[in-house]
Amino acid sequence: MDLFISAASEVFAPANLLILLASTVIGIVIGAIPGLTVTMAVALAVPLTIWMETTPAMLMLLGLYGSGIYGGSISACLLNAPGTPASAATALDGYELGKQGKALKALKVALWASVYGGLFSIVLLVLIAPQLAQVALKFGPAEITCLLIFALTVVSVLSGDSIMKGLFAAALGMLLATIGADPMLMIPRFTFGVDELFDGLAYIPLLIGLFAIAEMFAQSEQSFRFGATILSIKDGERDENRIYAEDVKKCAIPVIRSGFFGAFIGMLPGLGAAVASFVGYAETKRASKEPEKFGKGAIEGVAASESANNAVTGSAMIPMLALAIPGDPPTAILLSALMIQGVTVGPLIFANNPDVVYMIYVALFMALVATAGVAAMFMKPISHVLRVPKVFLYPIILSMCVAGSYAIRFNVFDVFVMLGAGVLGYVMRIFGVPVAPLLIAFILTRPFEESLRQALIRSEGSLMVFLEHPIALFFLILAVAAVAFTVWREHKTGHRIGEQG
Amino acid sequence: MKRLSIAAILTLAVAVLFAAPASAWEPTKPIKIYVGFSPGGGTDIVARTLVAASQEFFPVPLVVVNKPGAGGTIAADFVSKQEGDGYSLLVAGGSESTSVPNHREVSYSLDNFRGVLRNIRARIILVSKAGSDIKTIDDLVKKAKAESGKLAYASSGAGTLYHSTMLLFTKAAGIDMKHVPYKGGSPAMAALLGGHVDITLAAPEEAQAQVEAGQVNLLGLTSTERTDLFPDVPTLKELGYDVYLENQKGIVGPASMPDDVYQYLHDKFKMGMDTKVWQKMAGKLKLETSYLNGPDFKDAMGTMSKTIGDAVKGL
Repeated sequence: MDLFISAASEVFAPANLLILLASTVIGIVIGAIPGLTVTMAVALAVPLTIWMETTPAMLMLLGLYGSGIYGGSISACLLNAPGTPASAATALDGYELGKQGKALKALKVALWASVYGGLFSIVLLVLIAPQLAQVALKFGPAEITCLLIFALTVVSVLSGDSIMKGLFAAALGMLLATIGADPMLMIPRFTFGVDELFDGLAYIPLLIGLFAIAEMFAQSEQSFRFGATILSIKDGERDENRIYAEDVKKCAIPVIRSGFFGAFIGMLPGLGAAVASFVGYAETKRASKEPEKFGKGAIEGVAASESANNAVTGSAMIPMLALAIPGDPPTAILLSALMIQGVTVGPLIFANNPDVVYMIYVALFMALVATAGVAAMFMKPISHVLRVPKVFLYPIILSMCVAGSYAIRFNVFDVFVMLGAGVLGYVMRIFGVPVAPLLIAFILTRPFEESLRQALIRSEGSLMVFLEHPIALFFLILAVAAVAFTVWREHKTGHRIGEQG
Repeated sequence: MKRLSIAAILTLAVAVLFAAPASAWEPTKPIKIYVGFSPGGGTDIVARTLVAASQEFFPVPLVVVNKPGAGGTIAADFVSKQEGDGYSLLVAGGSESTSVPNHREVSYSLDNFRGVLRNIRARIILVSKAGSDIKTIDDLVKKAKAESGKLAYASSGAGTLYHSTMLLFTKAAGIDMKHVPYKGGSPAMAALLGGHVDITLAAPEEAQAQVEAGQVNLLGLTSTERTDLFPDVPTLKELGYDVYLENQKGIVGPASMPDDVYQYLHDKFKMGMDTKVWQKMAGKLKLETSYLNGPDFKDAMGTMSKTIGDAVKGL
């Protein structure tokens, strides 16, 4: 407790608070701009920390790290341009709410769900990080493979009205994910000699294209036909943007459940916030009594996605702090930053540098508080961006998207991927094929193939390995149950398979 | 007044006359340093440390540009095709320079580059999990011979230096092991700690935290001499296995880079390596500062590349 108080008193020094506030604001802005990621922001900030004391240095980095994912939800709700890969699932319902004049409500729900998710993961980090890290280590190739098979079943939930169209989209996503070098022997597949395709299509340009660019195509088509419809937040709509008790009731269980999923997925290496938010969203829809409302402006969808992806921030720190094994790029950078400060992370950090550990706890928590404060203050002014006529707004978004896609790898190739994905997304809209199954299948396919083949190398090709490991078997059973549930529900609600959406 | 202006003109003329020959090459626009890996990776950290340390000696900004992809080969290919005007440099010396081109076809070779200087070298250490019955290289070789083809090692990816290291070692020891590639060093270490593989490879800074916590055994390293960081860990050479491979990081530019540009860049970056910023950051990050000039750096890369090439060809 003394350590906690001394850490808190350091964090609360005025200069330190100012650093935290500034980095939180920057983190939100960078998170909100599609293509600019928290990872870049943290990497750029590390050299600045060389001569800083440990506390301000960590406050700066954790402020950027903790606020970025919430930032992504702003552009997802307002512009249908997910600012981070993790906010794609938020855009599914968040943007629909925006179109109905409830953008502010979506942003509020996103914020409170984010705060809960973040808080939950920090609590886990504080209470049982070493134990959770040991659990994470148990997840070898066989376990990850079966977990991903289970995750793939969310495709059925994300499919919308027509399972066939959803499966088609998922198959397309898997196909796109097979482009690039195979994960084992690095033999190029479908690259046609193009070096840029060696690592496969980049996820962020694909995401920006399918959401933001496709939306722009669709909107411009509509404007030409029916004249522009300007979204606005009128005074009369103020009531619609309030959060009522029934909203809280609707969101409470999804937020808690998604926080759990997010924290769990976050501590496993190589999956990340994007997978977490899709799984959180899909499981909420699966459990919902009104699944048909999802994708048409269900606030619990926004809440579930944001709770899940923010729960990743704290739990991704667990393997980094407790094992010195970072699970994702931003935590890898935090690890180097800690080393520069002379702190050796790993199992001994809790004994050798408890002061630093407590400071990280307090800093993460304060970053969350600062995010909430800043977002609550600027939410309304920012949502007025919707009043800007699309003739002016869209060129700005488009140039942001182009710049963002380019900035991922400093490669023009990715800009063309984005534009191509935009055309694909537009065509899919015309035929009523949902985009979400494509994205989730695309994200899951590569880690799935990798862990599947790793598991099979060890077992010398025997598939029994998935039945012999208890955790793997557990997830396989869950996957079978999920498919059975979908079939049962389809049967109950009438045969929708093959029907028009 | 008139006399004054004549004097001024004369002074100016003299100044120009004397300044002209002294102005060898000087950069006039930002210098881009390309990194073939994502922000936060080992190569990226070296680039950013070097920039932080050397910037004060340059009249123009040094910009780190991350151009990740295809195991660092996209950036290497890109820089090899730039003009040798000193404005496009690459952080080289790792897998993309010495290992990957021996495993698959790439559109550049070491001949396309001119070395500027080497900054660090990173030893490669063979690691097993604490509590495993593999505690020495001897144990490993015996066990691998007893259960031929059953033991598995995790690498940071097919074609990387770690993969090549194990190819060299298993060949030298006459053993057969399974290769399980992971996406980078961290997942490979996690696989070892989780007991999903028997052996992995690690850089000293990665191994240190695990050693302090008693999580791993260090079996041996692939250098010609031991490291100060772990003086008890033997080299494979001492144990009778002829395996010499190291990861290096340094700066290279396109082969067409003229001598004056090389000299300028080399001198300024060398000054950066002598600053406190470099020493502090490299020290804290456990990076082993190891300077070589441009030609020597290139030779060192050439030697490693040939070693790996010979081993891969023999497969």
